[in-house]
Amino acid sequence: MSKGNRDRAEKARRIVEQQKAADKRRKVTLWTSVAVVAVLVIAGLVGYTTLSEQDKATTGALVTPASAVDDGTAFAVGTGPVTVDVYEDFMCPICNNFEKQSGATLKQLITDKKITMRYHPVSILDDASNGTQYSTRAAGAAAAAADEGKFTEFHDVLYANQPEENSDGLGNDKIIELAKSVGLTSDKFATAVNAGTYKPWATKVTETFSSRGFDGTPTIVINGTKLTGPKDTVPTTDLITQTIAKAAG
Amino acid sequence: METTTRPAIWPWISTLARLGLAAVWLVAGATKVGDLAASARAVNAYDLMSYDVAKVVGGVQPFLEIALGVLLLIGLSTRLTATISAVLLVIFIAGIVSAWSRGLRIDCGCFSSGGELGAGRNTQYGLDILRDLGFLALSGILLWRPRSRFSIDGALMGESS
Repeated sequence: MSKGNRDRAEKARRIVEQQKAADKRRKVTLWTSVAVVAVLVIAGLVGYTTLSEQDKATTGALVTPASAVDDGTAFAVGTGPVTVDVYEDFMCPICNNFEKQSGATLKQLITDKKITMRYHPVSILDDASNGTQYSTRAAGAAAAAADEGKFTEFHDVLYANQPEENSDGLGNDKIIELAKSVGLTSDKFATAVNAGTYKPWATKVTETFSSRGFDGTPTIVINGTKLTGPKDTVPTTDLITQTIAKAAG
Repeated sequence: METTTRPAIWPWISTLARLGLAAVWLVAGATKVGDLAASARAVNAYDLMSYDVAKVVGGVQPFLEIALGVLLLIGLSTRLTATISAVLLVIFIAGIVSAWSRGLRIDCGCFSSGGELGAGRNTQYGLDILRDLGFLALSGILLWRPRSRFSIDGALMGESS
Protein backbone atom coordinates (compact mmCIF):
# COMPACT_ATOMS: atom_id res chain seq x y z
CA MET A 1 0.00 0.00 0.00
CA SER A 2 1.22 3.45 -0.86
CA LYS A 3 1.57 6.11 1.79
CA GLY A 4 -1.39 8.02 0.30
CA ASN A 5 -3.67 5.00 0.57
CA ARG A 6 -2.66 4.38 4.15
CA ASP A 7 -3.50 7.99 5.02
CA ARG A 8 -6.88 7.72 3.36
CA ALA A 9 -7.70 4.51 5.22
CA GLU A 10 -6.65 6.10 8.49
CA LYS A 11 -8.85 9.14 7.78
CA ALA A 12 -11.87 6.95 6.97
CA ARG A 13 -11.35 4.92 10.14
CA ARG A 14 -11.25 8.10 12.17
CA ILE A 15 -14.43 9.45 10.58
CA VAL A 16 -16.27 6.23 11.34
CA GLU A 17 -15.05 6.37 14.92
CA GLN A 18 -16.20 9.94 15.29
CA GLN A 19 -19.61 9.04 13.91
CA LYS A 20 -19.86 6.14 16.31
CA ALA A 21 -18.94 8.43 19.20
CA ALA A 22 -21.51 11.01 18.09
CA ASP A 23 -24.13 8.26 17.84
CA LYS A 24 -23.30 7.15 21.33
CA ARG A 25 -23.55 10.71 22.64
CA ARG A 26 -26.94 11.13 21.01
CA LYS A 27 -28.19 7.89 22.51
CA VAL A 28 -26.87 8.76 25.97
CA THR A 29 -28.42 12.23 25.74
CA LEU A 30 -31.75 10.78 24.68
CA TRP A 31 -31.96 8.15 27.38
CA THR A 32 -30.66 10.32 30.20
CA SER A 33 -33.24 12.95 29.20
CA VAL A 34 -35.97 10.32 29.31
CA ALA A 35 -34.70 9.24 32.74
CA VAL A 36 -34.74 12.82 34.03
CA VAL A 37 -38.30 13.42 32.83
CA ALA A 38 -39.38 10.10 34.37
CA VAL A 39 -37.80 10.96 37.73
CA LEU A 40 -39.47 14.38 37.78
CA VAL A 41 -42.86 12.93 36.86
CA ILE A 42 -42.52 10.34 39.62
CA ALA A 43 -41.48 13.01 42.12
CA GLY A 44 -44.53 15.05 41.14
CA LEU A 45 -46.80 12.04 41.59
CA VAL A 46 -45.25 11.25 44.97
CA GLY A 47 -45.93 14.85 46.01
CA TYR A 48 -49.50 14.75 44.77
CA THR A 49 -50.17 11.42 46.47
CA THR A 50 -48.65 12.60 49.74
CA LEU A 51 -50.84 15.69 49.59
CA SER A 52 -54.01 13.68 48.95
CA GLU A 53 -53.15 11.22 51.70
CA GLN A 54 -52.67 14.07 54.17
CA ASP A 55 -55.98 15.57 53.07
CA LYS A 56 -57.72 12.25 53.47
CA ALA A 57 -56.24 11.76 56.93
CA THR A 58 -57.46 15.22 57.98
CA THR A 59 -60.95 14.72 56.56
CA GLY A 60 -61.20 11.23 57.99
CA ALA A 61 -60.35 12.33 61.53
CA LEU A 62 -62.31 15.57 61.39
CA VAL A 63 -64.50 16.23 64.42
CA THR A 64 -66.38 19.50 64.19
CA PRO A 65 -67.33 21.10 67.50
CA ALA A 66 -71.12 21.31 67.86
CA SER A 67 -71.13 25.02 68.67
CA ALA A 68 -68.99 26.08 65.69
CA VAL A 69 -70.53 28.48 63.18
CA ASP A 70 -69.50 29.68 59.70
CA ASP A 71 -69.27 26.24 58.10
CA GLY A 72 -68.11 24.91 61.43
CA THR A 73 -64.91 26.95 61.42
CA ALA A 74 -65.49 29.65 64.06
CA PHE A 75 -66.95 30.33 67.48
CA ALA A 76 -69.44 33.14 67.82
CA VAL A 77 -69.53 35.33 70.91
CA GLY A 78 -72.25 37.92 71.34
CA THR A 79 -75.38 38.65 69.33
CA GLY A 80 -74.81 42.13 67.87
CA PRO A 81 -75.77 43.10 64.30
CA VAL A 82 -72.22 43.71 63.06
CA THR A 83 -70.11 40.61 62.48
CA VAL A 84 -66.44 40.87 63.38
CA ASP A 85 -64.37 37.90 62.25
CA VAL A 86 -60.96 37.52 63.83
CA TYR A 87 -58.44 34.97 62.57
CA GLU A 88 -55.75 34.38 65.17
CA ASP A 89 -52.94 31.97 65.89
CA PHE A 90 -52.29 31.30 69.57
CA MET A 91 -48.54 31.40 68.88
CA CYS A 92 -48.67 34.76 67.09
CA PRO A 93 -47.23 37.65 69.16
CA ILE A 94 -48.92 40.28 66.98
CA CYS A 95 -52.26 38.60 67.76
CA ASN A 96 -51.41 38.89 71.44
CA ASN A 97 -50.65 42.60 70.95
CA PHE A 98 -53.96 42.96 69.15
CA GLU A 99 -55.75 41.25 72.04
CA LYS A 100 -54.06 43.54 74.56
CA GLN A 101 -54.76 46.60 72.42
CA SER A 102 -58.34 46.00 71.32
CA GLY A 103 -59.60 43.00 73.28
CA ALA A 104 -61.30 44.98 76.07
CA THR A 105 -63.02 47.37 73.64
CA LEU A 106 -64.33 44.49 71.56
CA LYS A 107 -65.61 42.71 74.68
CA GLN A 108 -67.47 45.86 75.66
CA LEU A 109 -69.05 45.98 72.19
CA ILE A 110 -70.12 42.37 72.65
CA THR A 111 -71.67 43.18 76.02
CA ASP A 112 -73.43 46.19 74.50
CA LYS A 113 -74.87 43.89 71.82
CA LYS A 114 -73.24 45.91 69.06
CA ILE A 115 -71.22 43.10 67.51
CA THR A 116 -71.03 39.36 67.07
CA MET A 117 -67.40 38.25 67.34
CA ARG A 118 -66.45 35.17 65.41
CA TYR A 119 -63.13 33.69 66.49
CA HIS A 120 -61.27 31.55 63.96
CA PRO A 121 -58.34 29.85 65.71
CA VAL A 122 -55.93 29.10 62.87
CA SER A 123 -52.59 27.32 62.99
CA ILE A 124 -50.12 28.88 60.60
CA LEU A 125 -47.18 28.98 63.01
CA ASP A 126 -46.72 25.28 63.67
CA ASP A 127 -43.11 25.56 62.58
CA ALA A 128 -42.44 28.02 65.41
CA SER A 129 -42.74 25.51 68.25
CA ASN A 130 -39.87 23.10 67.71
CA GLY A 131 -42.09 20.48 66.13
CA THR A 132 -44.64 20.31 68.96
CA GLN A 133 -47.27 22.00 66.75
CA TYR A 134 -48.36 24.34 69.50
CA SER A 135 -50.57 26.37 67.13
CA THR A 136 -52.58 23.31 66.11
CA ARG A 137 -52.75 21.89 69.64
CA ALA A 138 -53.85 25.22 71.11
CA ALA A 139 -56.50 25.78 68.42
CA GLY A 140 -57.78 22.24 68.97
CA ALA A 141 -57.89 22.80 72.73
CA ALA A 142 -59.88 25.98 72.14
CA ALA A 143 -62.47 23.89 70.28
CA ALA A 144 -62.67 21.54 73.26
CA ALA A 145 -63.15 24.58 75.51
CA ALA A 146 -65.93 25.82 73.23
CA ASP A 147 -67.66 22.46 73.68
CA GLU A 148 -68.06 23.38 77.33
CA GLY A 149 -69.05 26.97 76.68
CA LYS A 150 -65.76 28.43 77.85
CA PHE A 151 -64.13 29.52 74.62
CA THR A 152 -63.58 33.16 75.58
CA GLU A 153 -62.15 32.36 79.01
CA PHE A 154 -59.79 29.78 77.58
CA HIS A 155 -58.81 32.01 74.65
CA ASP A 156 -57.92 34.81 77.05
CA VAL A 157 -55.89 32.66 79.42
CA LEU A 158 -53.90 31.18 76.53
CA TYR A 159 -52.97 34.64 75.28
CA ALA A 160 -52.13 35.79 78.81
CA ASN A 161 -49.69 32.87 78.99
CA GLN A 162 -48.46 32.94 75.41
CA PRO A 163 -45.19 31.06 74.94
CA GLU A 164 -42.28 32.60 73.04
CA GLU A 165 -42.09 31.95 69.34
CA ASN A 166 -39.64 29.16 68.55
CA SER A 167 -39.94 27.67 72.02
CA ASP A 168 -41.64 24.30 72.56
CA GLY A 169 -44.91 26.11 73.22
CA LEU A 170 -47.11 25.10 76.13
CA GLY A 171 -47.27 21.37 76.79
CA ASN A 172 -50.68 19.67 76.92
CA ASP A 173 -50.34 19.39 80.73
CA LYS A 174 -49.78 23.12 80.99
CA ILE A 175 -52.74 23.80 78.67
CA ILE A 176 -55.00 21.63 80.87
CA GLU A 177 -53.68 23.32 84.01
CA LEU A 178 -54.41 26.80 82.59
CA ALA A 179 -57.87 25.61 81.55
CA LYS A 180 -58.54 24.52 85.13
CA SER A 181 -57.76 28.04 86.31
CA VAL A 182 -60.69 29.33 84.23
CA GLY A 183 -63.08 26.61 85.38
CA LEU A 184 -62.50 24.01 82.66
CA THR A 185 -62.06 21.05 84.94
CA SER A 186 -63.79 18.19 83.10
CA ASP A 187 -62.04 15.00 82.13
CA LYS A 188 -63.66 15.36 78.72
CA PHE A 189 -61.68 18.52 78.06
CA ALA A 190 -58.41 16.98 79.24
CA THR A 191 -59.01 13.89 77.12
CA ALA A 192 -59.76 15.96 74.03
CA VAL A 193 -56.53 17.93 74.53
CA ASN A 194 -54.39 14.87 75.14
CA ALA A 195 -55.91 12.87 72.30
CA GLY A 196 -55.75 15.86 69.93
CA THR A 197 -59.41 15.30 69.04
CA TYR A 198 -59.79 18.67 67.37
CA LYS A 199 -56.39 18.92 65.68
CA PRO A 200 -57.79 18.01 62.24
CA TRP A 201 -60.45 20.63 62.82
CA ALA A 202 -57.73 23.25 63.41
CA THR A 203 -56.21 22.23 60.07
CA LYS A 204 -59.59 22.68 58.39
CA VAL A 205 -60.03 26.15 59.93
CA THR A 206 -56.60 27.09 58.60
CA GLU A 207 -57.43 25.80 55.11
CA THR A 208 -60.65 27.79 55.11
CA PHE A 209 -58.67 30.86 56.15
CA SER A 210 -56.23 30.37 53.25
CA SER A 211 -58.96 29.62 50.72
CA ARG A 212 -60.53 32.95 51.61
CA GLY A 213 -57.32 34.62 50.47
CA PHE A 214 -55.98 35.49 53.92
CA ASP A 215 -52.44 34.66 54.91
CA GLY A 216 -51.43 36.62 57.99
CA THR A 217 -52.62 36.78 61.57
CA PRO A 218 -54.39 38.57 63.02
CA THR A 219 -56.81 39.11 60.16
CA ILE A 220 -59.79 41.23 61.12
CA VAL A 221 -62.88 41.18 58.94
CA ILE A 222 -65.85 43.45 59.62
CA ASN A 223 -69.12 42.51 57.92
CA GLY A 224 -67.20 40.62 55.28
CA THR A 225 -64.55 43.25 54.52
CA LYS A 226 -60.96 42.82 55.65
CA LEU A 227 -59.81 45.76 57.76
CA THR A 228 -56.18 46.84 57.85
CA GLY A 229 -54.42 49.94 59.04
CA PRO A 230 -52.12 51.97 56.81
CA LYS A 231 -49.37 49.93 55.10
CA ASP A 232 -51.12 46.65 55.84
CA THR A 233 -50.70 47.02 59.61
CA VAL A 234 -53.05 45.73 62.29
CA PRO A 235 -55.89 48.28 62.60
CA THR A 236 -55.92 50.44 65.72
CA THR A 237 -58.75 50.20 68.23
CA ASP A 238 -60.07 53.57 67.01
CA LEU A 239 -60.15 52.42 63.41
CA ILE A 240 -61.93 49.22 64.46
CA THR A 241 -64.61 51.01 66.48
CA GLN A 242 -65.14 53.58 63.72
CA THR A 243 -65.50 50.87 61.11
CA ILE A 244 -67.95 48.97 63.31
CA ALA A 245 -69.98 52.14 63.89
CA LYS A 246 -70.07 52.76 60.13
CA ALA A 247 -71.09 49.17 59.44
CA ALA A 248 -73.89 49.47 62.01
CA GLY A 249 -75.18 52.45 60.00
CA MET B 1 -11.13 18.91 15.91
CA GLU B 2 -10.52 19.36 19.60
CA THR B 3 -7.08 20.16 20.71
CA THR B 4 -5.73 18.44 23.74
CA THR B 5 -3.73 21.39 24.91
CA ARG B 6 -6.70 23.47 26.14
CA PRO B 7 -6.58 23.65 29.91
CA ALA B 8 -9.46 21.59 31.27
CA ILE B 9 -10.68 24.22 33.67
CA TRP B 10 -14.32 24.37 32.53
CA PRO B 11 -15.29 20.88 33.63
CA TRP B 12 -14.19 21.86 37.12
CA ILE B 13 -16.11 25.14 37.10
CA SER B 14 -19.14 23.27 35.79
CA THR B 15 -18.72 20.70 38.54
CA LEU B 16 -18.86 23.42 41.17
CA ALA B 17 -21.88 25.02 39.51
CA ARG B 18 -23.64 21.64 39.30
CA LEU B 19 -23.04 20.76 42.95
CA GLY B 20 -23.93 24.29 44.06
CA LEU B 21 -27.22 24.24 42.18
CA ALA B 22 -27.94 20.74 43.50
CA ALA B 23 -27.47 22.04 47.06
CA VAL B 24 -29.80 24.97 46.35
CA TRP B 25 -32.63 22.67 45.24
CA LEU B 26 -32.07 20.12 47.98
CA VAL B 27 -32.14 22.75 50.72
CA ALA B 28 -35.10 24.57 49.14
CA GLY B 29 -37.09 21.34 48.93
CA ALA B 30 -36.08 20.00 52.34
CA THR B 31 -37.20 23.13 54.19
CA LYS B 32 -40.68 22.83 52.69
CA VAL B 33 -41.37 19.12 52.39
CA GLY B 34 -42.11 18.66 56.10
CA ASP B 35 -45.13 20.95 56.04
CA LEU B 36 -46.94 20.84 52.72
CA ALA B 37 -49.85 22.86 54.06
CA ALA B 38 -47.45 25.68 54.90
CA SER B 39 -45.86 25.38 51.47
CA ALA B 40 -49.33 25.68 49.94
CA ARG B 41 -50.00 28.80 52.02
CA ALA B 42 -46.70 30.30 50.85
CA VAL B 43 -47.73 29.82 47.21
CA ASN B 44 -51.21 31.12 48.02
CA ALA B 45 -49.71 34.26 49.54
CA TYR B 46 -48.50 35.33 46.08
CA ASP B 47 -52.17 35.66 45.19
CA LEU B 48 -51.56 34.45 41.66
CA MET B 49 -53.85 31.43 41.63
CA SER B 50 -56.84 30.03 43.45
CA TYR B 51 -56.15 28.30 46.75
CA ASP B 52 -56.96 24.87 45.31
CA VAL B 53 -54.35 25.30 42.59
CA ALA B 54 -51.86 26.86 45.02
CA LYS B 55 -52.34 23.87 47.28
CA VAL B 56 -51.33 21.40 44.57
CA VAL B 57 -48.44 23.60 43.39
CA GLY B 58 -47.21 24.09 46.96
CA GLY B 59 -47.56 20.38 47.70
CA VAL B 60 -45.78 19.12 44.60
CA GLN B 61 -43.06 21.77 44.38
CA PRO B 62 -40.86 20.57 47.28
CA PHE B 63 -40.75 17.05 45.81
CA LEU B 64 -39.76 18.38 42.40
CA GLU B 65 -37.07 20.53 43.97
CA ILE B 66 -35.59 17.57 45.82
CA ALA B 67 -35.71 15.39 42.69
CA LEU B 68 -34.02 18.10 40.65
CA GLY B 69 -31.37 18.46 43.36
CA VAL B 70 -30.64 14.74 43.31
CA LEU B 71 -30.47 14.66 39.50
CA LEU B 72 -27.98 17.52 39.49
CA LEU B 73 -26.00 15.93 42.29
CA ILE B 74 -25.49 12.73 40.30
CA GLY B 75 -25.08 14.67 37.05
CA LEU B 76 -27.73 12.98 34.93
CA SER B 77 -28.53 14.84 31.73
CA THR B 78 -27.00 17.99 33.14
CA ARG B 79 -28.00 20.23 30.26
CA LEU B 80 -31.67 19.29 30.63
CA THR B 81 -31.73 19.61 34.43
CA ALA B 82 -29.95 22.97 34.11
CA THR B 83 -32.60 24.08 31.60
CA ILE B 84 -35.42 23.03 33.92
CA SER B 85 -33.67 24.81 36.81
CA ALA B 86 -33.38 27.98 34.76
CA VAL B 87 -37.05 27.85 33.76
CA LEU B 88 -38.13 27.36 37.38
CA LEU B 89 -35.88 30.20 38.57
CA VAL B 90 -37.27 32.55 35.94
CA ILE B 91 -40.80 31.68 37.11
CA PHE B 92 -39.80 32.29 40.75
CA ILE B 93 -38.19 35.62 39.90
CA ALA B 94 -41.29 36.63 37.94
CA GLY B 95 -43.42 35.70 40.96
CA ILE B 96 -41.32 37.83 43.30
CA VAL B 97 -41.32 40.76 40.87
CA SER B 98 -45.08 40.46 40.58
CA ALA B 99 -45.53 40.38 44.38
CA TRP B 100 -43.21 43.35 44.70
CA SER B 101 -44.99 45.40 42.03
CA ARG B 102 -48.37 44.72 43.61
CA GLY B 103 -47.03 45.85 46.98
CA LEU B 104 -47.70 42.53 48.70
CA ARG B 105 -45.91 42.13 52.00
CA ILE B 106 -44.84 38.51 51.92
CA ASP B 107 -41.85 36.33 52.58
CA CYS B 108 -40.84 34.80 49.26
CA GLY B 109 -41.08 31.29 50.72
CA CYS B 110 -37.94 30.40 48.85
CA PHE B 111 -36.20 28.49 51.59
CA SER B 112 -39.00 28.39 54.13
CA SER B 113 -42.70 28.09 54.31
CA GLY B 114 -42.97 31.85 53.76
CA GLY B 115 -46.28 33.59 53.99
CA GLU B 116 -47.28 37.07 55.00
CA LEU B 117 -44.82 39.06 57.03
CA GLY B 118 -45.57 40.15 60.54
CA ALA B 119 -45.56 43.82 61.50
CA GLY B 120 -42.10 45.28 61.81
CA ARG B 121 -40.57 42.79 59.42
CA ASN B 122 -39.54 44.08 56.06
CA THR B 123 -39.80 42.51 52.68
CA GLN B 124 -36.53 41.80 50.95
CA TYR B 125 -37.61 41.27 47.39
CA GLY B 126 -34.46 42.90 45.99
CA LEU B 127 -32.19 40.47 47.83
CA ASP B 128 -34.39 37.50 46.93
CA ILE B 129 -34.24 38.40 43.25
CA LEU B 130 -30.49 38.99 43.38
CA ARG B 131 -29.98 35.60 44.96
CA ASP B 132 -32.19 33.88 42.40
CA LEU B 133 -30.24 35.63 39.62
CA GLY B 134 -27.08 34.12 41.13
CA PHE B 135 -28.68 30.66 40.93
CA LEU B 136 -29.76 31.44 37.39
CA ALA B 137 -26.12 32.19 36.57
CA LEU B 138 -25.15 28.73 37.87
CA SER B 139 -27.76 27.20 35.56
CA GLY B 140 -26.37 29.33 32.75
CA ILE B 141 -22.87 27.96 33.25
CA LEU B 142 -24.23 24.42 33.07
CA LEU B 143 -26.31 25.17 30.00
CA TRP B 144 -23.28 26.55 28.24
CA ARG B 145 -20.77 23.98 29.52
CA PRO B 146 -22.71 20.94 30.75
CA ARG B 147 -19.64 18.69 30.89
CA SER B 148 -18.46 18.26 34.44
CA ARG B 149 -16.44 15.90 36.60
CA PHE B 150 -17.92 13.13 38.75
CA SER B 151 -21.11 12.98 36.72
CA ILE B 152 -23.14 10.09 35.37
CA ASP B 153 -23.17 11.90 32.04
CA GLY B 154 -19.39 11.74 31.95
CA ALA B 155 -19.32 8.07 32.89
CA LEU B 156 -21.91 7.15 30.25
CA MET B 157 -20.18 9.13 27.53
CA GLY B 158 -17.03 7.25 28.40
CA GLU B 159 -15.04 10.36 29.11
CA SER B 160 -12.02 10.17 31.25
CA SER B 161 -13.02 12.06 34.33
